[in-house]
Amino acid sequence: MPTIGDRVEIERRPKLGGGGPGKIPHRRGYGGGGDDGDRGNPEGFQSREQRMRRYRIAMTLCIVSVTAIFLLLTVVYVFRMGKGRFDEDTRRWVRDWVPLTLPYLQLWINSAVLLLSSITLELARRSMIKKEEFAAMGIVPPRMRRDLPWLGMTVVLGFCFLLGQVFVWNILRHQGVFLESNPSRSLFYIITGTHAVHLVGGLAVLLYAVAGRLLAAKFESQRIAVEVTGWYWHYLAFLWFGIFALVHFARG
Amino acid sequence: MSSSTQLTNAFTSQSRLHRFFSTDHKVIGRQYFFLSLAAVLVGAWLSLLMRIHLVWPKAAIPFLGEIKPENYLAYLTMHGTLMVFFVLSTVPQAGFGTFFLPLQLGASKMALPRLTAAGFWTALASFMVLTISFVVPGGPGGAGWTQYPPLSAISAAGPGQGLGTDLWLVSIGLFCLSSLMSATGFLVTTIKLRCPGMTWMRMPLTCWSWFVTSILILLAFGILLAALVLLMLDRHAGTSFFVPGGLVISGKMVGHAGGSPLLWQHLFWFFGHPEVYIAVLPAMGVTSHLLSVFARKPVFGYKAMVGATLAIGALGFMVWGHHMFVSGMNPHAGFAFSSLTTAIAVPSAIKTFNWVATLYGGKIRYTTPLLFSVGFVSLFITGGLTGPILAQPSLDIYLHDTYFVVAHFHLIMAMAGLFAIFSATYFWFPKMFGRMMNERLGRLHFWITLFGSYATFMPMHLLGIAGHPRRYSDLMGVQYVAAMAPLQKFITFAAIVTIAGQIIFLVNLFWSMRKGRLAEANPWQCTTLEWTLPSPVPPEGYGGREPGVNHGPYEYNISGAKEDFIMQDAPAT
Repeated sequence: MPTIGDRVEIERRPKLGGGGPGKIPHRRGYGGGGDDGDRGNPEGFQSREQRMRRYRIAMTLCIVSVTAIFLLLTVVYVFRMGKGRFDEDTRRWVRDWVPLTLPYLQLWINSAVLLLSSITLELARRSMIKKEEFAAMGIVPPRMRRDLPWLGMTVVLGFCFLLGQVFVWNILRHQGVFLESNPSRSLFYIITGTHAVHLVGGLAVLLYAVAGRLLAAKFESQRIAVEVTGWYWHYLAFLWFGIFALVHFARG
Repeated sequence: MSSSTQLTNAFTSQSRLHRFFSTDHKVIGRQYFFLSLAAVLVGAWLSLLMRIHLVWPKAAIPFLGEIKPENYLAYLTMHGTLMVFFVLSTVPQAGFGTFFLPLQLGASKMALPRLTAAGFWTALASFMVLTISFVVPGGPGGAGWTQYPPLSAISAAGPGQGLGTDLWLVSIGLFCLSSLMSATGFLVTTIKLRCPGMTWMRMPLTCWSWFVTSILILLAFGILLAALVLLMLDRHAGTSFFVPGGLVISGKMVGHAGGSPLLWQHLFWFFGHPEVYIAVLPAMGVTSHLLSVFARKPVFGYKAMVGATLAIGALGFMVWGHHMFVSGMNPHAGFAFSSLTTAIAVPSAIKTFNWVATLYGGKIRYTTPLLFSVGFVSLFITGGLTGPILAQPSLDIYLHDTYFVVAHFHLIMAMAGLFAIFSATYFWFPKMFGRMMNERLGRLHFWITLFGSYATFMPMHLLGIAGHPRRYSDLMGVQYVAAMAPLQKFITFAAIVTIAGQIIFLVNLFWSMRKGRLAEANPWQCTTLEWTLPSPVPPEGYGGREPGVNHGPYEYNISGAKEDFIMQDAPAT
């Protein structure tokens, strides 16, 4: 069928050069050099970077999915706040949303702790980048001057935040505010609880990175864990302030 | 190549257990395939029970006895759940996708193999939790696969509403996690592991549909998961999201107040409508692919196909309200949902037009996969034409709770989806199991299934227009409904014949696995990369070799070429 042939002829020819997806191959053996050791040597720089990029994309997707969950909870929050119920006795709509009374002091302390943990994690990430050069050369990374155990501090701060959240829930419980008391309270517990559950996931990965040496994990894997969890952790901190803003400005 | 033999050795030295709990995408793909096969057998058996009960309400079924109304509702729920989640959204996406996505992109593994494996084992756990509900006291829940509250939210509302519904919620929660894991792997694989030369616009349409479906899964299943948690809290923690106050159930006033059943419907269908496309987009991808292969012509309008896939995915998130016209809705919202729903007809029509145009003037090879693909197009058109009818609120209010809707979604989603699954099975069987399926049996299977599904579902339109309500177990006492009994009987006979016809498929499948003709590397003379590998695909995939792509995926009958097809990795001309 000549007509089809003509159509395909005008398809764009692939550009030469480059090695990433969507480019014409440069194969080992010809062209000479320019390979960066990414094909034959899986420990090489290129493959490390590519592994990292894979995990980064996966993390971005994970964040998208988590955002969907929190968007849904926010929608339910706003919907439930505005909605009332029809009272059969008085034949009128009544709003049944009891405004939230929050333990602000404790919440602010928790926020500060989470923010601090975000900062220490960023410092941990930066110190790991420096060490990685040594690890790539097969040298045990030396302890650097002024290099505090940032990662361990992040984990401790993460646990502090979780404890602080438990503390907040306890304060509310002692005030007689339970999950089933009122939709406002249900949603406060559910949203903060869901946030805490997601934080536990991040904490688990950080613990893996901290205990990596004991688990005989490669330094590279630890670094990827820290790098990728970093994104997640900052996102959760950002999300926390979003939640805080929601429960503060939309108390009802 | 030394690295290749090393890889082979590494794979063959693995223990049997290690191969079973494998991170190899080919193993996981086959595992998904058999999981869905188990689910479809249970689901089909339940539909048979329901059809028999509708016609002979007092019939005693061997081992089960007489089917009571609550049993009927439980079967309805489980049939829907199994078919929608574990068959239609599992095998075309997670099954064939896990197996063939990396191969078609020229990669030897998924980007995140452990995550993909975890996805499968979570899906298996989810399936087991669901099937356990058959044997717990009270049996499975009866609130339908949509689990509308208050029925699903109050344990006292029925025998299956206690433990059975809890198990349902846990099972589907696990399924959400499984789908999210699997979809993440798909997306990263598609973005990062395309081999050199495999540009976006050189991906086979199957890969495009798996990609778009994964995006839908990523956005939709998280929503369902959160909604399930809220429903679970309503059931066990005393919250009131979905249960209104003042309800008296089984003689007792419920303790909830102020919840909204409509809220659940919005949340569920915000997931539920994309879910329809999660089920049907991979089926569309497979159909586009196969029509081109067997018509020996390039896909007509490749770019339009990609655009239509994306458009359907995007529009799919804006139309959930059309499931709720009868639930009560602001007319303005109803109008918006109605117009957007009708708008989906545009990309769908583009696809249908392109399928027909792909076939037009081709040197068609009438193989079983082609027959099933053409069957898909036929069923998609038949089922699709009732879509715009149901998209009109005024018509939908009359038709929504009748068999008309049953006919609509079974034709367009269930049967069309199933036909694509069949065509994919016949087509990729040599690549998955190394042997060919029997063509003669395949053709027999096709004709029985095609006529059977039309005979089963076409008369349901008539039932619906005549006002036969759906979901009820026994309406023999209602005069105008009882008058439709002969047609119902015909449908049941058709259903029995159709399901019996599937035995041919099962025989063919298992017989061909052991005794079928050995397949060569490229039995269908197809251009995509998976056919450059021997059949079945060796564990190491491409091994140390990385394919390079110089051609589009559908270069058939190109003038000047030696054969009537050009492999994607053939040298550039």
